[in-house]
Order: sequence, then C-alpha cells, then structure tokens
Amino acid sequence: MINIILNEWKMLVRNRVFIYLTIFFVLSLSLVVWMGINQNSAQQEYRNKAQRHVRTQWDNLEAMNPHRAAHYGSYAFKPNNLLNSMDGGINDITGNVIQLEGHVQNEIVYSEASQSLSISKFGKLKSSLLLQYVIPLFLIFLAYGSISNEKETQRLKLLIFQGIPMTRLVFAKSLSIWIYGLSLLLATVIIQSMLISSDPEVFRRLTLLVFSYGSYYYIITSLATYFSARLKNNTSALSAILATWILWTIFLPKIWGNAVEKIHPLPSRMAFKAAMKEERSKGIDGHNPSDKRREKLKNKYLTEYKVDSLQQLPINFDGIVMQEDEDYGNLVWDKHFGSNYTILQKQKGLYQVSGLLNPFASLQSASMGFCGTDMIHHLDFLKKAEDYRRVLIKALNDKHAYGGSKTGDWGWTVDSTFFRSVQGFSYKSPKINDQINHYLIDILFLLWWGLLVTFMIKLNTNKKIIL
Amino acid sequence: MTRYIEIAQSEFVHLVRSPFKTISLILFGAAVIYGCQNGYDLFKTHSNEIISIQANNDKSIANMILQYEEIEQGILDKPRRDPTIPYWAIWNTPSHAFKYPSPMIVFSLGQSEQYGYYKRVTNWSTIFDSDLAEEIANPERMAIGTLDLNFVLIYLTPILITILLFNIGGLEKDLRFDNLIYLNNISKERWLLARFSFYYLLTVILLFMLITPYALFSGILQSASLEFFHLLFIISLYLLIWFTAFFFINVSGNGSSDHALKMISVWLVFCIIIPGAIHQISSLKYPTNYMTDYLDVSRDQSNKIFELPSETLREELLKAFPSLQTTLYATDTSMNKAIINRSLSGLVNMLNKDVARTIEWSSEKKNKFIKSFSRLNPVIYFQNEINALTDTDYYAYKRYRSDIQEMIDIKINLILEDTWNKVTVDKEKYIQYVESFKKL
Repeated sequence: MINIILNEWKMLVRNRVFIYLTIFFVLSLSLVVWMGINQNSAQQEYRNKAQRHVRTQWDNLEAMNPHRAAHYGSYAFKPNNLLNSMDGGINDITGNVIQLEGHVQNEIVYSEASQSLSISKFGKLKSSLLLQYVIPLFLIFLAYGSISNEKETQRLKLLIFQGIPMTRLVFAKSLSIWIYGLSLLLATVIIQSMLISSDPEVFRRLTLLVFSYGSYYYIITSLATYFSARLKNNTSALSAILATWILWTIFLPKIWGNAVEKIHPLPSRMAFKAAMKEERSKGIDGHNPSDKRREKLKNKYLTEYKVDSLQQLPINFDGIVMQEDEDYGNLVWDKHFGSNYTILQKQKGLYQVSGLLNPFASLQSASMGFCGTDMIHHLDFLKKAEDYRRVLIKALNDKHAYGGSKTGDWGWTVDSTFFRSVQGFSYKSPKINDQINHYLIDILFLLWWGLLVTFMIKLNTNKKIIL
Repeated sequence: MTRYIEIAQSEFVHLVRSPFKTISLILFGAAVIYGCQNGYDLFKTHSNEIISIQANNDKSIANMILQYEEIEQGILDKPRRDPTIPYWAIWNTPSHAFKYPSPMIVFSLGQSEQYGYYKRVTNWSTIFDSDLAEEIANPERMAIGTLDLNFVLIYLTPILITILLFNIGGLEKDLRFDNLIYLNNISKERWLLARFSFYYLLTVILLFMLITPYALFSGILQSASLEFFHLLFIISLYLLIWFTAFFFINVSGNGSSDHALKMISVWLVFCIIIPGAIHQISSLKYPTNYMTDYLDVSRDQSNKIFELPSETLREELLKAFPSLQTTLYATDTSMNKAIINRSLSGLVNMLNKDVARTIEWSSEKKNKFIKSFSRLNPVIYFQNEINALTDTDYYAYKRYRSDIQEMIDIKINLILEDTWNKVTVDKEKYIQYVESFKKL
C-alpha cells in the first residue's frame, strides 16, 4: 500500500502543472489566512474602540437619577472570535450592536450585510471558502481519473497481473490524493496558528477543524476514486462526482435549509411582538401610577414597613416598582425568546440530520461551530448580553429604591462614582468543551460517511467487477 | 439554414439519449420553480403582514375616534395621555411606514431578508431604530441563502450549461473522430456554434416558459411588465456571456474532461473566488459600521438637548423651524414648558438626520467600491441588477428609509405647528391627522 502511495506521489510530483498548482494553493491559502486575520483584527479593534467609547460615556455620566440612567442604558458590541478569520459563519448577516436599557429587550442590529450592496453568496474569501469549495474540487479533479485512466490505457490489467489486490489499489490511489488535501489543510492550520495567539482553546478548536475537514476530504477523494473505478470511463466518473458535489454543496444545503424553517416555523416579528406585548401588559406598568397591580405591591410594602403612606417609607417605592416591572418583563422574555431559541435549535438539529445524506452539511456546521461563528455561539452572546442587561438595570433600580431617596423624588441623583462602580459588559466566547455536544452529530455523520465510502470501496471494487 | 436545422435536430436526439443531461435539465427546471415559489411565498407573506398591520391600525383608529366621541359627550374622562393635546393625538395616530413588496420579488429575494419592511413611526423614530431589524429567521439558513430564481440564474445556470456543453465537440475529440466532422464542409467554429445555439435557445426558452406563469399569477404583467421584460433581456444577456466563454473553451479544448475541468474552474473563479475576494477586500477597506455616531446622537447629544434651559430651547426651535415664528405661542411672552418639552423631538430629529446623512454617505462609498469591480466580474453586476429590478437591493431599502424619514418629518411638523398654535384636538382634527399619514 505504502509503495503504491509513494509511487502515486512520485507521478504527481513529476507533473509540473501539479507543482505550480500546489505552489499557487499554498500561496493563496497563506494570503487568504493573512487577509482574514488582518480583517478580523481590524474589525475587532474597531469593535473594542466602540465598546470603550460607550463605557467612557457611562463612566463620565453626570449626576442623574438611576432610572434615567436605565433609560440611557448601554450597548453591547458583538466581538469577533479569533477563528472568525478562518470561517465567518453567520457573522456577516447577524447584527453587531445591541442596546441594553430598562423596560425593553432590544434586538441586535446593524449587520454588515445591511450596510452595502450584496456581494458574495458564498461568503468572504476566507480559508474556509477555499477549504470547503476549492480544495475538494481540486481533489476531485485529481481523483476522478485515477483508476479510469489506468483502465483506458489498459495499465490496470498489468497492475492486477502483478498481484496488487484491486481494493488495495483503489484505497492507495484514494489515500495518496487525500494526503495531498490533508497537507494543504495542515499548511492552512499551521499558518493560522503561527499568526494568531497560542491559546489552548484555539488549538483545541483547530484540532477539531482538522478532523472535520480531513474526514470530508477522505469522503470526497474516496468517492471520486470509487466512481473512477466503477464507471466505464473518465467522463462518466467526472460527471458522476461533479453531479454529487453540486448536489451536496449547492442544492441540498439551500433546499434543506428552507425546508427546516417550514417544518419548525418561527413566529413572524409582528406576532411575536404582539404576544410579548400582550403578556407584558399583564405585569406592572412601571410608569403608570393608576395600575392596579402597582396598588397591590404598594399595600404589600406599606404593611411590611408598617407605615400608612409611600412618603413614610424609608425606601423609594418607585425603584421597587421598576424592578418588579423588570422581573416580570424578564419572565416574559425568557418565555418568548426561550421558545424562539428552542425552535432555532430544533431547526439546527434537523439541518444537521441532513448530514446523513450530505456530508458537506456536516462539514459546514462543524466548521462554523468550531470557529465559534455559528448560531449556537451567536445565541450565547445574546443570552450573555441579556444577563448583563438584567444585572445593570437591577443595580440601577436597587440604587433608586435603597440608595437613600424617597418615593416620588425623581430629582434625586447619583454621581459618576456609582456609575463607575457598575461593571462594564465583557464577553468571552464559550469553551468548545462545553459546546461540543452541539456538534457531535456532525462528527458522527462525517465518520458515518467515511465508513460508508470505505465499505463501498471494499465491497464493490474487486477485480471481477472492475475488469 | 437547412444544415443548422439538421444539426439542431441531431442535437435534440443527442440530448434525449443522454440521461445525465435530461435529468440535469429536469432538476434545473425544478430548481427554477422552487426558486420562484419561494419568492412568491415571500411576496404573499409580506403583502399579508402589511394588510394585517393596516387592519390593526384601522382598529386602533376606530377606537380612538370612539374615545373622542365619548370625551366630547362627557362619558369618558381624559386619560393620562390627553388625546386633545396634539402631541398625544399624533402619538396615538397609528402610522406605519411600509416597504411594499414589488411583485417582481418572486424572481429575486435579493437583500429583502436583511431588512425590516414595516415600521411604526412616531415623532421619536429614526431610520436606524432597532425595530427595523429583519424578520425573525434562522441566521444559519440566511447565511446559507435562499434558493430563489436569482440564485438559480446567476449560479446554477452556468453549472447546467457546463453539464449540457462539456462534451459538445469533446466527445468527438475523446473518440478521435472530430476530424471526420470537418470533412463535411463545415468549420469547427460553425459546427460548434450551431450546436451551442441549440442549447442557448433551449435554456432561454426553458427559463422563459417556467417564469412566465409566475409573472401571470403575481400580477407582474399588469403592474411591472417593463421590469419583467427587462429581466428577460438580462437573462438572455447573462446566458450569452457564459455560452460565449464556454464556446471558446470548447473550441480550444482537448476533450470532454478537459472542457468540464475548465468550465467548472471558470465558474468557481467567477462565482465563488472573485466575489469572495471582493467581499473580503471591501470589508478590510470599509469595516462593519458599529454606528457609534448614531448611538451618540440617540443618547448623549439628545440628553444634552433635554438639559438645556427652556428659554434656549425655545430659541433653538424658532431658529430650526422658522415657520413657528407666526404661531400663537411664538407671539406669547410667557414660558410654557409643556409646549417646549413636546417640541423637543424636532431638535433631536435634526441631529438624527445629520448623522443619517453621514452614515448613508459612508455606505455609498462602500457601494461605489463594490461597483468598481463590475468590469472584473459581471456576476456581481448581474446579481445586483436583478435585485434592483425586483426592488430588493440596498437602494430599494435606502428609498424606504427616506420614506420613513419623510413620515417622521411630517409628524414633527404637525406636532410643532399645532402645539405652538395651542390647537385642541377633537374627532375631526384627529381624522385629519389620520388622513395626512395615509397619503404617504
């Protein structure tokens, strides 16, 4: 087997076009990785600047009422994961800024895609674009004729007469091309690791990426070699593998992606907002003094503090009402957004199931996930931003209630020392070890496909069938 | 001519006998129908959602009218937000700005999934509010993209053409009897041209036949026939470019496999690599805008306005809105803080408009940069040209933002004029407000 692989490599290396193409690929990959890292760093710097700007404004707030500060609020800017430079995932189309304020949970806005004309339907030229589309196609070009050429030139019979088992020949030819793909992949990963920080988390993610892409390359080269062995000539082999590639990369992801949205439909924005509004109206309206539920809360506090009127309370009842309003709003948010998140995760799960028929879907999902740019990571950011909003607003409401002012004293203010004491928003992407369960199905289907093509070659490429 | 007809006839036989090509054609047809259906579904969803919002608005307006009647008859006390005050009356006039879908959206969803298409407009609204975010959707599905006719045409048609054409002239080379063909008193180029013409006409006719019923169903032929015929012209032109490029590949190629490799490589370069590179370069040159200028206006600068003394605000308002000079309150020397407070959205709106101009200008710079690559790669040009025709490109939504701004301006002007003239709003006046927003 090793001799055949070495022989295949010798033949490949003798081909000048192959050498030039390899040099071209390595240079392109280096350039693309470098550009990706540069773009990512520039964007991250721009994002940090924005976050610092907002924090400086918060730190330098002039003395104001805490509730006014809650309306002033803050902003969370979505950071770029280090491996965003490799696979941008959904980052181009999701928003980047979320306003965090009292009473309302805003949506993340200002996506890159909404700021210009449409450009590429397949994303930016990052290494993932080359690794997912260009290199597999190149591997197909190398593999489609690997056996059929030998058949057309009658060399195959000679090789078989020399005692090489047919199956071993097919495997060896397939592995020799797979090793080439793997080398390009490793070159990309090595360049990537050299140019970014040596964080063990990044290393773990890169290892998983190598496994995923490596498996996919194995599937694609084995299948192309299989077709080459089974079909009557080069043209048929090329037609069959190209048709499979088109089906896997262009057709199925889009069709299945649309189908899962129809199977597990999300509510329309209007229906969603109406349901939220309806439910929210059942809670306390923080700004409406005639609200009945407010009266109930008032009586509860008057009894607790054993006083007759709000003015006699040692605390500011307005702050209590605001926090009560927040707590209720949070429950409503958890219910409705929670339901949306569940639907989104069901959609993702169902999309991942398509890996059973389409290993490219598994690769795409795994690539985004391991680069930290998929929906799971996006939802995690949104959740953390909301958690921070709750902490921020509670701190302000508590200050309003227990900071020393009396009910109705809207002119009471706190100075910037207090505002500075409230921690700013910081976000760290989740560790892949904690998220790996979301991608096990992708890994499983890549393995399943690897085994399937191995068995296909093992069972269907003996000399009786081929010759 | 007879010879060309003969070649076309034999090409038809060749096509029918090739199951791979026939299946590809059927799949392609299915993709066209699926793409158009997706567009048609979105057209219906948008239209129905808009109708539903309008119905809700009509219901709110009817309730408000009833409220006025009850207040006027003394049955109802004025609520906390007194509707007889112009500010609250206008606040309670439900008015939405809609981006009505063009029926042409059936043929290209374009960037429609990136933007919201309805917005409740108040005097405090801006064109960058977070309620203008896109519909709730799965971001991974959006990143993968929807299979619409635009995608089928721009990205899948070249693949179909590759499948149809890769062995045209290639099979003869593979079996080494191509020279026999040229003995029949026809040049290689003419022979290939005749065969290519057959496939060009076949693809164009297939596309036209499949999309025309959708044009009929969605009322395009009645309301956007010019755009539809323009689309047909674009389709013909776009296909012609690909057929021409592939013609040269086949003329100079060495066989079916060689043709297929070259064709798919050309597709890869023009449809994936170059657009991806332009996308990446434009992001490097023009990073995503975090809109801090706008955020500053909506918080800090607005706050500064709120903190100004009433006298200064009155002067600022008179300066910014000279038409107020002739109002009742302008001639009054006493200070009415409520009037000033209800007018502040006018000053904030001016700041918002200034910053919006800057943001739109920076987006325009990025667009110019993207457009400058059209000569290098016609794929992006055609993609955006179709999006423009279907009213789903960046500029369609820019126009929508302008409409929203116009509505905000009208609201503010009405609030200012009527507040400063100390108008008391009754049922008739409220109906006038409603009508003035319906005109937009």
